[in-house]
Amino acid sequence: MQLKTTPGALRLGLMAASCSLLGTPAVAQTTPDTPTDDEQPWQFDTGLLYYKENDGRVNSSEPLVTLRKDFGEEHVFGFGFEYATLSGGSANGALPAKKLQTFATASGVRLNNTDGTPITYTTPSGQTVAQLQTLTLYQINPGFLPVDPNYHEQRIAMDASWSQPFAGANHVSTGLRLSHELDDFLSAVNAGISHDFNQRKTTIGLVANFQHESLKPPGGAPVPLSDYRLSDKGGDRTKNTKGGMLSLTQLVLPDWNLQLNYVFDKQDGYLTDPYKILSVIDSAGLTTDYIFEKRPDSRTQKAVFLDNRIAIARTVLDLSFRHGSDDWGIRANTIEGSLRFNIYGEDIYLEPHLRWYHQSAASFYRLYADAAGPLPAYISPDTRLAEFTAQTLGVKCGFLLQDRNEVTLRLELYKQDPTVHTSSLAGLSGLDLNPSLRSFMFQIGWRHGF
Amino acid sequence: MASPCEVLIETADAATAARIGGIAAGEAARIERKFSRYRVDSVVTLLNESRGRPVAVDDETAALIAFAKHCHELSGGAFDVTSGVLRKLWRFDGTNRVPSAAEVEALRPLIGFGRLTWTPPRLTVPEGMEIDFGGIGKEYAVDRALALATQGFAGAVLVNFGGDLAANRAPATGPWAVGVERPGTDREARLVLDLKGGGLATSGDTRRFIERDGVRYGHILDVRTGWPVQGAPRSVTVAAGTCVEAGLLATLAMLEGAGAEEFLEGQGVTHWCLR
Repeated sequence: MQLKTTPGALRLGLMAASCSLLGTPAVAQTTPDTPTDDEQPWQFDTGLLYYKENDGRVNSSEPLVTLRKDFGEEHVFGFGFEYATLSGGSANGALPAKKLQTFATASGVRLNNTDGTPITYTTPSGQTVAQLQTLTLYQINPGFLPVDPNYHEQRIAMDASWSQPFAGANHVSTGLRLSHELDDFLSAVNAGISHDFNQRKTTIGLVANFQHESLKPPGGAPVPLSDYRLSDKGGDRTKNTKGGMLSLTQLVLPDWNLQLNYVFDKQDGYLTDPYKILSVIDSAGLTTDYIFEKRPDSRTQKAVFLDNRIAIARTVLDLSFRHGSDDWGIRANTIEGSLRFNIYGEDIYLEPHLRWYHQSAASFYRLYADAAGPLPAYISPDTRLAEFTAQTLGVKCGFLLQDRNEVTLRLELYKQDPTVHTSSLAGLSGLDLNPSLRSFMFQIGWRHGF
Repeated sequence: MASPCEVLIETADAATAARIGGIAAGEAARIERKFSRYRVDSVVTLLNESRGRPVAVDDETAALIAFAKHCHELSGGAFDVTSGVLRKLWRFDGTNRVPSAAEVEALRPLIGFGRLTWTPPRLTVPEGMEIDFGGIGKEYAVDRALALATQGFAGAVLVNFGGDLAANRAPATGPWAVGVERPGTDREARLVLDLKGGGLATSGDTRRFIERDGVRYGHILDVRTGWPVQGAPRSVTVAAGTCVEAGLLATLAMLEGAGAEEFLEGQGVTHWCLR
């Protein structure tokens, strides 16, 4: 045994290096680039989104702010704030016609006599209509899709979430969302639990959610199927959604992650759109009336979602497929893919994105109500319930800057083509009754850790 | 860790012993899971299969890479975490196969810390090269496990992972007695050392070697030549402040071959060499 009192230079260097190594906090193995077990700085995301539809339909801009904080050991708090304004035009559901059409903006409130009967007046064309307070009329030229140009909506929303490990290889999470619009107040809660096993390569999860909405359309919710011109409106309405999701996440290979979700949702309450009306069309194709739409008061939706994320070196391919169906008769399929790759070293990435979507129509979707026959129990002209094919083409570009800053730009073009959009009736022939929708979305985002 | 692991705890309370043992075992498992080159989901495997693309690593991995770089520099290139590819030629598995000089030469372009690109937190491992924390991982696990086990526990603890060990202090009854195995004779202690605290690590070919034509090729490979070091002691045991430091000094001493004792004396290290 030898013992020296003066350490050599190499030993001193090793001592220093060892101290530096052992002074480094240890972190759990996940994969590189993922958050560690240590407390992380607040992560601040802000974005500005601009959305515009063709033909003067809706345009929207919404600033979004989200904050995320990892308090270490996978205790994560999230908070989001959103303020959105939507304005422009919203299709009211009526068909284009070969003559000038006049509508009243939905914010009109019917004037009543003291006994509750509506005060009416007769228009120059001989129609009896309700007399409205704050009446705003708009006219649609022949051949054009009726769009309410006075549509305005604003939304203030916030959400908070928390997740943390629980009893070994489990995670629990909970979230709350509150959203206020001019005509709608939404509150939602969710809670979930997940369990890791197979060396954390497999995770199964269950999330349950409940959402309550109180709908306060101006002047009240219209009486479904009633004559639009009489502006027959009831009170406020509510809508509840109960749902759940079962998920399986599997790390198949170190660079292939597979996710399978089954989603179930049940909505009850006033599911009718208070602003959608139908043209009542006679056998000659002429508009005789307008009525408010009506939808069933419950809807059950189910969906299966399969997502693959495959990393090939630093390029990430995401391929997903979704099949959804509901008891309104809609069957929907989505195929979506994106590829993220670096250009210019590690600091700029590009992510092209393609999406294809097709859905069948709801059983009660109609272009118009038939003046001859009896009215069906449910009927809606909402293009979102029609059969259509949609494609999205997008690209996202991200710039990783100094000091944990990341700037992203996202541009998306969307095209929605309804299958049925013409009629052979004389009064409607040659008109595009359900024009394709084109929209454009631009988002700029900034992420910062501090 | 592929070797017997134990935690000795100075306590009369079984629950405390179980808790501390669990902490140490958990940390050992975590480090193995994260850094073992034998696991498909480890950071090391991810880096080795990155095919020459830069990979951003977490802080702990970055610290180990920085440490490996320091050691490479301090040892004049003798210690190198990229030497693992040599194992394809040198299998210390009892088959006693000695590779040809041409085989060794063919692999040398794939070895050398200097061929890696380390711009924290991104490491680029060129295609065909491999890194391996085997030379420091076990010692690191010992120090980490001891640090975690002694948080909030004042008693004496000794963490021993396959002969590399560290203790926070001596038990009230006197120093820990540590036996060092005699080369070629498993589990029969030849040397019993007193350990009051700090790290103790052993490097040597007491269990793994190739013997061919009367030449014993130990499992310490010199990356500078691609061949096992000749003339090294059968084992070198070093005491130092931490197990990591002791392990590195023992490995570097082995790499000195016949000059192992001289090297250790020059560094002023408490050591025991068995020849």
